[in-house]
Amino acid sequence: MSPETAINVDHVGMVFTLDDGTELTAVRDVDIKIGKGEFVALLGPSGCGKSTILRLVAALEEASFGRVTIEGQDPAELSRAHRLGVAFQDHALLPWLTVKDNVALPYKVAGKKVDTTRVKELLELVGLGKFAGARPSQLSGGMRQRVSIARALVLRPDVLLLDEPFGALDAVTRRHMNVELQRIWAEDEVTTLLVTHSVEEALFLADRVLVMTGRPGTVAMEMKIPFARPRDPSIQRTPEFHAMADKLTLALEPEA
Amino acid sequence: MRLSRPQIQDLALGVLGILLFLLGWELIGFYKLAGLTWPRFSTVMEYLFDPSRRGLFGRAMGASFSMILGGYLLGFLIGLGAAMLSYTLKPMQPGIDRLASTINAIPPIALAPLFIVLLSREVTGMAIATINVFFVIYVAATSGLEKSRQNHRDLFKVLGASKSTRMLRLDLPAALPSIVSGMKYATPAAFIGAILGEWFGASRGLGLLMVSAMQNFQIPLLWSAVFIASAASLIAFGLMSLLERFVHGRFS
Ligand SMILES: Nc1ncnc2c1ncn2[C@@H]1O[C@H](COP(=O)(O)OP(=O)(O)OP(=O)(O)O)[C@@H](O)[C@H]1O
Ligand SMILES: [Mg+2]
Repeated sequence: MSPETAINVDHVGMVFTLDDGTELTAVRDVDIKIGKGEFVALLGPSGCGKSTILRLVAALEEASFGRVTIEGQDPAELSRAHRLGVAFQDHALLPWLTVKDNVALPYKVAGKKVDTTRVKELLELVGLGKFAGARPSQLSGGMRQRVSIARALVLRPDVLLLDEPFGALDAVTRRHMNVELQRIWAEDEVTTLLVTHSVEEALFLADRVLVMTGRPGTVAMEMKIPFARPRDPSIQRTPEFHAMADKLTLALEPEA
Repeated sequence: MRLSRPQIQDLALGVLGILLFLLGWELIGFYKLAGLTWPRFSTVMEYLFDPSRRGLFGRAMGASFSMILGGYLLGFLIGLGAAMLSYTLKPMQPGIDRLASTINAIPPIALAPLFIVLLSREVTGMAIATINVFFVIYVAATSGLEKSRQNHRDLFKVLGASKSTRMLRLDLPAALPSIVSGMKYATPAAFIGAILGEWFGASRGLGLLMVSAMQNFQIPLLWSAVFIASAASLIAFGLMSLLERFVHGRFS
């Protein structure tokens, strides 16, 4: 981990006011510092506030307490400069654009010339080269998620936020995508926050894993992942990996 | 476009309906069930397609259709423009809404004399068509521009989209199904407006033909003019329905 902090989630709390007027504390006192070029995975049970943290970092929500900064600035500055890549939990592809045009959208929005080679490469990388001309409605859920990852990466962002990008994939495709993601990531070592439910995925990809628990959610545990990069899928069969996986699983279900 | 079974069924039922309607028209005329002012369908067709009247109807259609088309395009542009303006400048929305509804609440008949004075007799039809179309498009586009989904709005925010980029690449495409539905319902509105306007002393057009036929008791002429206007309006409506189906399939 480099000493320079890229993303600073500084003692952040988030309170939502529901339609009936009651207040819901989604997360409480979350303190996360992510170094430049670091890959951090966020694990936690459903509803503990992982997406909320991600949305705060993406400047889609305003923190009720504390403050989020990226390189010392408001996160909105980053998105305004087109330097933020996000793959949402629900893919958010535009139904009227083809797969290829969806991936090229960030160029258009940034007012840049579309790098068709880059678009093509990324589609190949996520295994959808043949579907460049298809529409999102013609793809499966897992394929749509992969398109949205390609879209998040296309501009080589400074910060990458991934919200359960492989949630809809089968185990085999998922492992394959993890290897590909690691390779793409290694190209620029972009600062990454990955939300996932999979302990193995977190261990394989991240430099550091954070476990969130509870309602309101808060960070309960932190684990540095020592494996050298590039990581071969075979590390997932080492005793060391299994020991860490057990520890994280235990942290996820403290009552069990 | 390939048609599915239910679509073919719809089409067949539609054709059957039209045939029954025309047959009824013919029979009522034949047995004089509705008196002398109800001619047989075949009489009207004979009158309408008589080569000696080709020029008469041709000129009237040319005049009316150009007024309808002109009013339609103008009304469309103003309606869409006003909707985009009120969407972009939210504080102005209630004001523009009220203005649009006020204009719509005034019967065009009441406005016609004003247009005749302000503009000219010739374009009064177009002006009324414009107003009719404007309102339908404004309402459709205003509601359509609110239809983009939250996750797509989040995406555009994260991508750092400017207001105009978001309008062009998200809000307008998301509004397109509503806008096209509006365009469909604006078609008959344009026909009504233009022909009504021609009643007020235009020197050419189907509306003029109707008025003069009425005054001179030229029953087949009256029915021919009405037939042309109705058929054209129905055809335009049908074509817009096809466009609507395509757009709804792709953009929503
Ligand atoms: N816009 C909102 N308004 C009200 N409550 C919200 C809103 N967004 C999230 N919440 C609440 O905040 C809590 C955390 O939600 P969040 O989506 O962050 O969970 P998550 O950890 O991402 O869950 P999952 O793993 O199922 O995606 C939930 O209780 C949810 O109901
Ligand atoms: Mg979530």
